[in-house]
Formats: sequence, C-alpha cells, structure tokens
Amino acid sequence: MADKSKLGMEFPAFTYEVEKGKVAEFAMAISQKESKEQVDQVYADQKAAKDAGYDDIIPPPTFQTCFALWGGGGLMPMITALGINLGRLLHGEEEYEYFKPVHPGDVITCQTKVTDIYEKEKKNKPGKFMEFTVLETEMKNQKGEVVIKSRSTLVER
Amino acid sequence: MAKEIYYDDVNVGDEMPSFTSDPLTRTHFVRYAGASGDFNPLHHDETFLKLFGMPSVISHGMLVMGITGRAITNWIPQKYLKSFKVRFAGMTMPADVNDMENTTARATVTVTGKVVNKAEENGDKVIECEIQTADANGEVKITGTFKAALPSK
Repeated sequence: MADKSKLGMEFPAFTYEVEKGKVAEFAMAISQKESKEQVDQVYADQKAAKDAGYDDIIPPPTFQTCFALWGGGGLMPMITALGINLGRLLHGEEEYEYFKPVHPGDVITCQTKVTDIYEKEKKNKPGKFMEFTVLETEMKNQKGEVVIKSRSTLVER
Repeated sequence: MAKEIYYDDVNVGDEMPSFTSDPLTRTHFVRYAGASGDFNPLHHDETFLKLFGMPSVISHGMLVMGITGRAITNWIPQKYLKSFKVRFAGMTMPADVNDMENTTARATVTVTGKVVNKAEENGDKVIECEIQTADANGEVKITGTFKAALPSK
C-alpha cells in the first residue's frame, strides 16, 4: 500500500546525458522499426533535423521516460522507496509540458517530488480501494533552463 | 514527417489524420524495454505474470503513448507541441505469433483525434486536441489531450 507519509518527499536529483544512439534506439522502438534509417529522420540525422528547423537531432515526445529509468537508477528503487507492490502497480496517467528543445549532448538534471497521494473506491468492488501516487519531475538542461515538466500517476490496484 | 501547418487552417471539430500501428508483438515490448530502460517483468516474463494469475505479458503503457505521440508528430511538427497528456484506460496484450488470426486485432492500435479548442495563450496561437487510442476490437487503451502552438499565415 502506498505510504501517505511520502507526500512531499523529494527523490535525490540525478542527471542524464542525452545520447544520439539512445534517441535513435528509442525512436525505432516506438516506431516499430528495425533500423534508424526507417524512422522519422529528425530523430536520427542531424542534417534532416536542421532542414526541418531544429538546431540538432531531437528525441521523440515521450523520450524523457528514459531519464528516470536509465539515469535515476531504474524503476525498482523508486517503487521500493514509495512502498508500492510491483505486482499491483499500474501506470495511470502521464503528462508532459514542453518548454525548450532537447538535443544530443544535453545534460538533463531531474528533480522528482511526490505531489499527491490519494485513494479511490473501486467501481465494481465497494469497500476496496485503489491507491494513487502522483510524481512530478522538473527537467533542466546544462544551462539551467527548464526543458520539460512531467507528471506521472502510479496506481496500486 | 509532418508538413507545415497553420493555425488559420485548423478548425474546431477537425479530425486529426488517424494512424494505425503494426500488430504489437513480444519482440516490440522487448525492444521498447531496452530502449526505455523499463524492465518491469510484466512486459516480458510470462512466468512472473503467472504469479498474479494473468494470462499474458502486456505492453508498456508508455509504448502505446509513444505510438500515440507518433500519430501527433505525423500531423503536427514536433517543435509546435506544448503539452501531451494521457490516461491509460486499458491494457494491451501482444499478438501471439502462433495464433495471429485470433490475436492481431487486440494488438493493433489506431490513434484518432479531434480539435476541441483554439485560443490565444500568452501570445501563442494554441490548438487543443482530444485523442484516443483503441485496438481493432474497439477496446480503448488511451484517452488524452495535446496542445500545440501553431504559426499563423
């Protein structure tokens, strides 16, 4: 069960360096493609990205999910710190606000905070509750500019 | 890649071009696990699922959100995207390669969307769209919204 004493808790900040190869690999995964030549070239080729009006290659709109999973030590430490049972964990909602472009070579610092913990009664099982934990993450680049804010809602069924 | 699009040419009620995925297989889940770093065994280890009485691995919700994002960036150049929000409404099971006939529909998702608002926000000309991602059986996987600040002519 989610631990309500965790409300307001901040996780240790961590950094993630955006790498060209990882951006292309992620683009291939969400594009269901076998090679980087088959994805939208703004994700893989600097010239194509520049031709499309970007300063450099950009990552897909959901790429920042990698920051916590690869840069923050993975899913398990966070789930353990929150006291959530992995076998009951579902991802309820995910939200992004985009402020500045991200490019390979950027070093992103992420600060995650627990901003809400609440429960809802299950529709088909009165008296049984689902627990919701909301995590907000502010992501800044090496210039100190906020590039993305994310909000993730984890559900324990 | 998305073509240039102008605020003036988009109207409330316009449909976003729909986008359909390839049938999702376990191999797609494994590729996404490696790319994203999400190694929750729920998405690749059927023996883990048996502990919870579930019949099959399920997709990462974030893979379906990624596919939903493709539908958006196929229509709107990504540099105009301001926000993207989804609620995960249902799980997606993969196509079984030994039974494609009966499992392709559940593993093939289509993203549709509609413009619900146009407004000026802090000097930006912003469109808001509601989106939905559902499988070929009509089971909804994602409902959501996105906003994009578009250039005007």
